[in-house]
Amino acid sequence: MKTTRLYLSNDTSSRAAGAGRLADAWSERPEIQLIRTSPRGAFFLEPMVERDTPNGREAWFNVVPDDLPRIVGGMGGTPVAGIPFLKQQTRFTFANFGTTEPLALDEYQTRGGLKGLEAARSLSPEAIVEELRISRLRGRGGAAFPVWKKWQVAQQTGSEQKYVVANADEGDAGTYCDRMIMEGDPFRLIEGMLICAQAIGATRGYIYCRYEYPAAAQTMRFAIQKAREADLLDFDDYPFDLEVVVGAGSYVCGEETALLESLEGRRGVVLAKPPYPAESGLYGKPTIVSNVLTFATIPNILTSGGAWHASLGTEGSRGTMAIQLGGRVKQPGLVEIPFGLTLREVLDRFGGGMAPGSRFKAVQVGGPLGSLFPESHLDISICYDTFAQAGAILGHGGIVVYDDETNMVELARHFMAFTADESCGKCTPCRVGSVRGREILERIQSGQGTAEDLILLSDLGETMKTASLCALGGRAPYPVETAIEHFGDEFRSKLSAFNLKQ
Amino acid sequence: MTTWHRPGLAEALEPCRPVPPAKPNILKTLLAVQTVLGHVPTSAIPQIAQVLGLTDAQVAGVLSYYSDIRTRSPSRHLIRVCMGESCTANHGGRVLRAIQDHVRVAVGDTTPEGRFTVEKMSCAGNCAVSPTVMIDEDVCGRVTPSGVPSLLEPYT
Repeated sequence: MKTTRLYLSNDTSSRAAGAGRLADAWSERPEIQLIRTSPRGAFFLEPMVERDTPNGREAWFNVVPDDLPRIVGGMGGTPVAGIPFLKQQTRFTFANFGTTEPLALDEYQTRGGLKGLEAARSLSPEAIVEELRISRLRGRGGAAFPVWKKWQVAQQTGSEQKYVVANADEGDAGTYCDRMIMEGDPFRLIEGMLICAQAIGATRGYIYCRYEYPAAAQTMRFAIQKAREADLLDFDDYPFDLEVVVGAGSYVCGEETALLESLEGRRGVVLAKPPYPAESGLYGKPTIVSNVLTFATIPNILTSGGAWHASLGTEGSRGTMAIQLGGRVKQPGLVEIPFGLTLREVLDRFGGGMAPGSRFKAVQVGGPLGSLFPESHLDISICYDTFAQAGAILGHGGIVVYDDETNMVELARHFMAFTADESCGKCTPCRVGSVRGREILERIQSGQGTAEDLILLSDLGETMKTASLCALGGRAPYPVETAIEHFGDEFRSKLSAFNLKQ
Repeated sequence: MTTWHRPGLAEALEPCRPVPPAKPNILKTLLAVQTVLGHVPTSAIPQIAQVLGLTDAQVAGVLSYYSDIRTRSPSRHLIRVCMGESCTANHGGRVLRAIQDHVRVAVGDTTPEGRFTVEKMSCAGNCAVSPTVMIDEDVCGRVTPSGVPSLLEPYT
């Protein structure tokens, strides 16, 4: 019997949407051979099944087990190349997604993988850093610090032992691109880390993965094993050791000093900087901590050159951004595009409007510490500098859309409660401020708040912004304040009438 | 010091015993204990501290810091309802209420027969197919309040 080869994503979100049920239902079907790939990132179409045709892949969307005869018969498929959500993207870091099996090292290589590492191994450490300087790559975890500067410091700091650490503690709600990379293209992360190790002379690497991502941690362990067997981890004069370390549920551990504390096995509390980890990090040694997406961006820069990367995007924000759409949009999923489109363009072009039956109210960019934007503020360009000028952040690229059923007072309380829960307790403005902030918002929510409470909240916000040790306390007031700024009537209508008259 | 014996604890701790120049790693040790025992009882703190060559307070400090290390014995299944922004935007709060109504237990508590513990989580990274519920290590997406009974049924 002729078997038809079908492709189905094995990503956590694809499985959560039903890909696992399809695989179970079809496991005994002799007419098909099921290949489990990385996802396309168009999660609104999942579970999505693809097959080869003379004109490239065709896809079937939101598939249920009974659709199999139709797919095997080749009826009703859509050319993948014609899916608007994917067609309008510029995929570099996510170029392999949807096509390869995550743990097939040969496929990774066939599609251009390991060329960046090869290039790096033919360069001097200084020349690698120079290539990154030309690329103008900024860290993708949220802080957007120029990557080459960190690398140069670590490179120039003398030490027998240096470390490379991938920050895979993707805690910003609304973000999932690091998880996708680890589950879907793990060798790209390994390649990026090896290039960094080569540049700074590191002998050990760690991937600090959050507890909530068991599948990502497991895929990375398998990928490291395969890389080791293929001798990829052998440098000329020393072996490089790479290990996955799993965290235990702490948002602050996404901050680099807290992450390193946690990696050493202690409470993940934030430390004052300087010294910066590039000079004195893990066990006091020079350490590069970068986000998974940052490392995954680096192989292409070494392959195609820093100038290629710098030719994409806007003046201060070069390259592409992995935007992760979520919330009440019709088409949630991963969007990789050069910086520079406006928020409205991204929501219209890729988000496809609102989920059926819902109306737009606000959008939050940059995770739980990101600002809220109402409809009238959507014409802001997606790049680091315009967002900074607006007092907002791009963060790790999460975009969450809220509909008009969202209660803004409750949402503001939710944000402050999150900070109160996750504060590491090291600095007072965050530890105490977040609890007081939550109490004020609870008072307003219960109808006991006064106009003075809003002033108090604003004062408190200023203190937290100015005096907190890290971005958790420093950014926590922004979503609350932008909620009050743009939806003030909802807050004022909750204030106690007696106090309003005074 | 009272020695505290629990089957499996000593075996779980042995590989975590620091061999110089390696330094003791409290978090790794606690996670190793949790893997074997399912949780880390506070009564095990002295034995853990002894193996690591640290004080009880140092171990207790780490144990109390991380929310995913549990000090109570787990139920058969852990339901974690995502309260991240995308799940909140997609009215995951209604899913949480439906789950609580169905299994009749408050957040943080365990059902009397020990079948389910219900908790909130801050983000499962499953935002594109939210609202999300994690049952043990299974991630379930696009969960609706009305779909809760059939979702939980297989977990006996």
